[in-house]
Amino acid sequence: MNDTIEGDVARYATAVRDAFADLPAPERELLLEDLEDHLAEVAAEGEGPLEARLGAPEAYAAELRASAGLPAPGAGGPGRAPSLRESRVARRLRRSWRAAVAHPAGGAIVGFLPELRPAWRVLRGYLAVQAVAVAGSPLFSGGGLSFPVPALFESQLLGLLATAVAVVLSVRRGRGGAGRRALTILGNTALGLFGLALALQLGSDEAAGDYYRPDQVVYAGPVSGLRSDGQEISNIFAFDTDGRPLRDVYLVDQDGDPVVATHYDNEYLEPRLPLDGDGNEVPNRYPQTQYELDPAGQRQPGPTPDFRPPPGPVRSP
Amino acid sequence: MDTTQLLKGVLDLAVLAVVAERDGYGYDVVRRLRAAGLEEVGDASVYGTLRRLYAGGHLTSYVVPSEEGPHRKYYAVNEAGRAQLAASTGTWRSFTDAMDKLLGTHGEEAA
Repeated sequence: MNDTIEGDVARYATAVRDAFADLPAPERELLLEDLEDHLAEVAAEGEGPLEARLGAPEAYAAELRASAGLPAPGAGGPGRAPSLRESRVARRLRRSWRAAVAHPAGGAIVGFLPELRPAWRVLRGYLAVQAVAVAGSPLFSGGGLSFPVPALFESQLLGLLATAVAVVLSVRRGRGGAGRRALTILGNTALGLFGLALALQLGSDEAAGDYYRPDQVVYAGPVSGLRSDGQEISNIFAFDTDGRPLRDVYLVDQDGDPVVATHYDNEYLEPRLPLDGDGNEVPNRYPQTQYELDPAGQRQPGPTPDFRPPPGPVRSP
Repeated sequence: MDTTQLLKGVLDLAVLAVVAERDGYGYDVVRRLRAAGLEEVGDASVYGTLRRLYAGGHLTSYVVPSEEGPHRKYYAVNEAGRAQLAASTGTWRSFTDAMDKLLGTHGEEAA
């Protein structure tokens, strides 16, 4: 029973939040941070699903938007999430593109692009062979990439021959004009992306496979670990009123459950959890001992950060 | 006449009055508004109004842990909110006085 109420609240809240997708995140959070708690109060009060008592989430969102003094979203109807073509980002992109083409330098670059076609056709042939070669053995496990000459069946000679054939075919196909346009675009895009991946892999070996793109992270359900302003927290330091660091502090949340910092694989920061009497790790005793690797690759204990408490006495609200 | 249209203009005032009387959390404010006779007040409107008054600096908030169910964010009126409430109350009184004079005894005949 409890579970269905929680699910109902979560579903309803998600649908309401979707209708505010056009707002910048801080504004949205300021408006919606208590939504789940508030809906839980409503749900606890009476019987039946929220939708039957509060109306459709879209209508709820529209009413909320109006009472909060916000304009209706874009060209769409009230409470409706804008479509991709109508979205703020798409409009901004189109505007930037028009401005870029209108600018003399931008126009020159756009006008110059067709000149690059022959070069792209050669590169395309090469990338196709390299893609086949790499597909044979995984790129990111290392050892699979032979550069600059691709290796087919572990033979660079074979790779060279295949490249020559592929480049000739690619150039002929390019001159042949529009055949199956959709297929060509698809192939070009795939090979272009592969080329980009190849360049990135060659550019920074140690960073490969570790790209964090906050703007592409889609929030899906609760995120484990501790975060502050979106940044993962791997350790917590407590200080007393005189600024002295406290040792061996146990942290729990409002339910008494341990507050566990985020442990991510970071070779520079290695947490060492203390063990309890049964040999189990104690995850919520802070600060945790952490080691950092110095430039020579030796483990050194991580430093305690500085903290100066505000001038006392500090009053409680 | 549609009460919801009337409510739109005065919900700020009603919410401020309820919270000034006694601190309250979101759903509590909804309930007290309805108990006071504003039965058609929308849940989302109250929530949105509370958040706007809070963002506008007319309300402060504090969290009270609850033993069962979610913790509750209580709202309280601060100095700016009290000043707003006093000013809006003055506006409301002169408005209703004017409307009363204008309508005279029409309402009573209809009723």
